[in-house]
Amino acid sequence: MKRRQGWLFFIIFLLTFSFYLLINYPLQLGLDLQGGSQLTLQIIKEEGKVTKDELEAVNSVIDRRVNNLGVSESNLQTLGGDQLILELPGEQNPIVASRVLGKTALLEFRTQKEGTSKDLKILQLQRLNIKEIIKQYSSSEKSQFDDNFLKILQDDLNDIEQELNYSSTSNDLYGKLIEIKKHVDKEITNLFIKTDLSGKDLINAGRRQEQTNSNWEVLLTFSNSGGEKFAEITKSIAGTNQLLAIILDGESISEASVGSQFANTGITGGSATISGNFSAENARELEVQLKGGSLPLPIEIVETNTIGALLGSKNILKSLYAAISGLIFVGIFMIFNYRILGFVSVISLVLYGFFNLALYSLIPVTLTLPGISGLILSIGMAVDANILIFERIREELYDGNTLTRSIDSGFQRANSSIVDGHITTLLSCFVLFLLGTNFVKGFAATLGIGVLISLFTSLNCSKTILRFFTTYQSLRQKNLYLSRNNFSN
Amino acid sequence: MKYNLELIKNKRKIIGFSTVLILLSILGILYSTFNTSYKKPINLGMDFVGGNELRIERVCEEECSNLSPDSVLENLKEISKNKNVLNNIKLQFQNNNKLISIRTPYLSIEESNNIITNLDNIIGPLNYESKDSRLIGPKLGKRLLTNCVTSLLVSLFSISLYITIRFDKKYALFALLALFHDLLIVFGIFSWLGVILSVEVNSLFAVSLLTIAGYSVNDTVVIFDRIRENLKSKKEGYNDTIQLSVNESFRRTIFTSITTLIPLLSIILFGSYSLFWFSFALSLGIIVGSYSSILLAPSLLLKD
Repeated sequence: MKRRQGWLFFIIFLLTFSFYLLINYPLQLGLDLQGGSQLTLQIIKEEGKVTKDELEAVNSVIDRRVNNLGVSESNLQTLGGDQLILELPGEQNPIVASRVLGKTALLEFRTQKEGTSKDLKILQLQRLNIKEIIKQYSSSEKSQFDDNFLKILQDDLNDIEQELNYSSTSNDLYGKLIEIKKHVDKEITNLFIKTDLSGKDLINAGRRQEQTNSNWEVLLTFSNSGGEKFAEITKSIAGTNQLLAIILDGESISEASVGSQFANTGITGGSATISGNFSAENARELEVQLKGGSLPLPIEIVETNTIGALLGSKNILKSLYAAISGLIFVGIFMIFNYRILGFVSVISLVLYGFFNLALYSLIPVTLTLPGISGLILSIGMAVDANILIFERIREELYDGNTLTRSIDSGFQRANSSIVDGHITTLLSCFVLFLLGTNFVKGFAATLGIGVLISLFTSLNCSKTILRFFTTYQSLRQKNLYLSRNNFSN
Repeated sequence: MKYNLELIKNKRKIIGFSTVLILLSILGILYSTFNTSYKKPINLGMDFVGGNELRIERVCEEECSNLSPDSVLENLKEISKNKNVLNNIKLQFQNNNKLISIRTPYLSIEESNNIITNLDNIIGPLNYESKDSRLIGPKLGKRLLTNCVTSLLVSLFSISLYITIRFDKKYALFALLALFHDLLIVFGIFSWLGVILSVEVNSLFAVSLLTIAGYSVNDTVVIFDRIRENLKSKKEGYNDTIQLSVNESFRRTIFTSITTLIPLLSIILFGSYSLFWFSFALSLGIIVGSYSSILLAPSLLLKD
């Protein structure tokens, strides 16, 4: 008897502790419950597996970019060795994030090949033309969007194709525009030779508005060695008609000549500006990318989930309804069928609920919709253990055993079935947790935790509470433990 | 109240019934593989093939006006610049025309947002707070599919291993037969649902299959445990002992199923729509699982 009382105090202590945890460490809600965006970034590697170092490197670059973007409370974590998951809670725009994060941001400085001035001029002109068409196409209103307008654009495009001696393969106008622009960018880049100066030589990047017009420019600050390299490169082409190109991800964003006054020393001072007609937004995005450094491997955004805040709070409410109504109906069912035993199981179910939630806030487990469904489902499984035990207790009572004896052997004999059943479910949870996606992991975690806790509550708490009840003489009548049907025969 | 299921008498009927169910499931899987547009054993959803799913609510003062999806799509095509985006687009109105749900093949996040902006121009205002958008790249989809299939195989293997170690060979074999019976039937029902109602399965379906596996084995184990225990102590014949054991554990199995079904029904009735088919699959699995553990698995144990 004394040992049981010890358990009773232990359970009361655990319950108090659970309340303490839940009050002081509120539950973390997943994005499907609080609203927000989640981006999954996949690291692309043509051959072999992504190594741990590479993952770390990509992770830190992305982390720096996210921080420089100034999104609040974002959360970045790695998944499965070659993926990253970025969570942006609340109403933050995932479009900017996806644009900034998805780019490799490989910055190169190249010098023009000798004798290519004429080719470059032609290409630069065509690039201007194509940009103009794209601008017209994207800024036009629906009303202007008639066949005539499209035909003009199409004709212009055909001229450019002829000039470039290139035929695009896309079916629609927009696809063609993008394809030809890529082609021109590649041709221009090919006219320049790589140098050993790159984005790695930067120590900082900034932006400012140009004084003469409303465009923005991006400022680059080189490291000491980078500054020396830059001086060396500019010295080599100063006063010639070769240009210096700044190339970002294969696209030349600036081509400039170096004046002959730099022929002796090159451009010193360790800084440079890129003024390529940037809008405020574009300048800021480039700044963020350059500050974060270039990605060692390209990444692709393979998944984006966005959930509105209103929908999130609706989801919480719906889950609450489901959980509470589930609990109530299970409780009614148990009390109806098992009377006082049912009442015991309801108490241990409530304990079960609190222990679960407390453990979520302790570990912590982020609650998501699948997570909640795991919890709700595990209610059923927790009750199962009680049912197994109660059925055994009743059988013992029918066989004419005393109440205390029946309770004891009921718990004992149901033990092995309960453990078996829990182990098979735990096996499934374990596999799900190891192999599943983020979404699935939430379910596996709550179901697994639930199964473990139910082992404790159904075997230990139920027993303790039942023992406590049976210390009262009025609660020791056998008929309180048998269902009405059973009692009558 | 004593239960008296006549297992011995009805052995043939039970096995016959299960065989019919299994054949129907296989038929569904075959039909789905060869006679549908997607040519897969089951209608794979966006999680596995990639794509873009958008749900957003309209802001209406009273009731939302009735709109035809076709005319909305036409308008959408007219004002969209990148027409390619709108290939294979599906648009539906649900919830008294309030909820718009759109499915397209994989798009970039910008393109997806353009659709919403354009839609806002056509049938706005839209409530952006209620937006639910999912974009999954085809690469990730494939990976998720392999992931799910591996998880299923690994956990089926580990459950089989556990059962084989825990029980005699014969018991283990029949428990596993019952398990595969349950999984096949749930799978088959979803194949048919895909064919008839174009219900798609996503990664939560794989989760439900795994959970059903754990549950089904659990149920069968409890009954087999009882049979083993009784075979040791009771003096009746082998077949009679099995029948007796099933009747003894009948209440427990039914009650457990009911207490598990109650919360699932709560999710189906009150929970979020994204959990609807998941809970439905689980409920099916639990019903089929209790049938197979009470009637099928013990019948297989019976001697002729």
